[in-house]
Amino acid sequence: MSLTAQEFAYISGLVRRDSAIVLDTGKEYLVEARLLPLARQSGLPSVSEFVSRAQQRPEPDLHRKIVDALTTNETSWFRDGEPFAALATTIVPDLMARRTGARNLRIWSAACSSGQEPYTISMVLGDIVPAAWNYEIVATDISTEMLTRAEAGCYSQLEVNRGLPANMLVRHFERDGANWRVSPALRKPITFKRMNLAAPLPVLPQFDVIFLRNVLIYFDVETKRSVLQRVSSLLRPDGWLFLGAAETTLGIDDRFERVPAGRTSAYRLRDGKNTAPTGAQEKG
Amino acid sequence: MNHTTPTDDDLRVIAEQVWSSYLDLDGASPLIAKPADAPSHEVCASVSVTGAWRGHVVVRCSAAASRNAAAALLGVELDDVTPDDVTDALGELANIIGGNVKSLLPEPCALSLPHVLVHGESGYPQVMEVCGLEATWLDEPVTVSVLESTVVERVG
Amino acid sequence: MHAMVIDDSRAMRLILKRIAGQLGFEVSEAANGKEALDLLAAADNPPELALVDWNMPEMNGLEFVTAVRADPRYRGITLMMVTTEGEQSQIVRALAAGAHEYVIKPFTPDAIVEKLALLGLVPNGAVA
Repeated sequence: MSLTAQEFAYISGLVRRDSAIVLDTGKEYLVEARLLPLARQSGLPSVSEFVSRAQQRPEPDLHRKIVDALTTNETSWFRDGEPFAALATTIVPDLMARRTGARNLRIWSAACSSGQEPYTISMVLGDIVPAAWNYEIVATDISTEMLTRAEAGCYSQLEVNRGLPANMLVRHFERDGANWRVSPALRKPITFKRMNLAAPLPVLPQFDVIFLRNVLIYFDVETKRSVLQRVSSLLRPDGWLFLGAAETTLGIDDRFERVPAGRTSAYRLRDGKNTAPTGAQEKG
Repeated sequence: MNHTTPTDDDLRVIAEQVWSSYLDLDGASPLIAKPADAPSHEVCASVSVTGAWRGHVVVRCSAAASRNAAAALLGVELDDVTPDDVTDALGELANIIGGNVKSLLPEPCALSLPHVLVHGESGYPQVMEVCGLEATWLDEPVTVSVLESTVVERVG
Repeated sequence: MHAMVIDDSRAMRLILKRIAGQLGFEVSEAANGKEALDLLAAADNPPELALVDWNMPEMNGLEFVTAVRADPRYRGITLMMVTTEGEQSQIVRALAAGAHEYVIKPFTPDAIVEKLALLGLVPNGAVA
């Protein structure tokens, strides 16, 4: 039984919504090939049956697996560029101006996946934070498999080709056979922990910056709301929140407002102690 | 930095990455690390390595696989593939695989230009296979071998 | 925008032409560093981008990069090496010689596009 036009349309709608990737007609064979392993895992004989079940019983976890299977496998370093540039040019200087007492910065990479995001943050902070300051990066994910990978910090040649500036590659990585491994110095400020954002979070000291990128898109509105609620409880009142390029808090949690951050935007709590950040660029 | 001899697994990873980058971009026709029913030496593309390590990296496949590779790599229709296309495509595959193998060998080494032979088996006197990959692509045989030269280099 | 693809492999030139072309670049090609320098000298306007292989006869990519960086006429050209040379020491050499970016073969089209985006060379932020 092969995929019907309606089933294909459902899958491409799902993928486009969650990843902005477009699967035009003609790509049915791709959907068949990539979803067959998932169908078999679910004990179903065909992709068509698998898809029609996914339609009838939508589950966030299943949708995420479908989207993952159909979108590119490798995640990038410095994903979307601008948030990391903003971290360097605007946010860290702003925080350093305020935290002169403690001289400590805490960053959270929530849903760190295979680790490209926390290591990217470590690269940026390593370059701009002076020796007299301390910084910690907490990297969490729901998958222990992903966390093990992230902690190992070992990447294939194809993976390090993805958005990683060559000078960062030679400075922060060493070849290990056919792979590239992060330097101990890059890994040192990072703590890897398992965490499920859709469940009550452990009590942790609040963070100055939280990266919650391309996570909310996989959840329904109710879950988005509860995740944001929990995550924001771990954000300093004057802290910064980064979402994915196509995401927003609008319609989900109006305690946040969107503010300029370098050449992109970030989110801050409206009732934060300082709603007008020093060093922030003018709007418009 | 320590260099060990490349393993069968290293070769498999390299070949899979080459395939998924150039010949199987959408994942629908991957290189499968399983021997085909019968190996084929109809087309043979190789690069030689000189320097701190000496030997050859050889890619062998059937004529059909070579034409599929040329079509995919060069973006031409299968029916339009010319013998020159096959030579250029297979030569470049041997070059890229060879280059990646070189990165696993002691430094410094240099890679020769590729050599492609159609309808003939390339012979390499006095070599020893250090690792190999027998694979299948679109039901056709593709093999990769790393052959180390056993000739003792004379000094002076 | 104009890009130059410099590689002795016709297959690789075709692949890179395709990727650059899809991004909207006009693409010229050369089979080695010397041919590329001749093309540059004869061009009205230098290209914004050069995708440069390393191992080529006559003049290799490292020599080409060194020559271009020494010439004030070509100050505006972004030099991205695209090569099988994957040793850490080789990448360091290339960057020291003045290459702006470095891609190890094999690469997916996305990898090239993302590196070009890092360099501000993707016309409308398009992703292949």
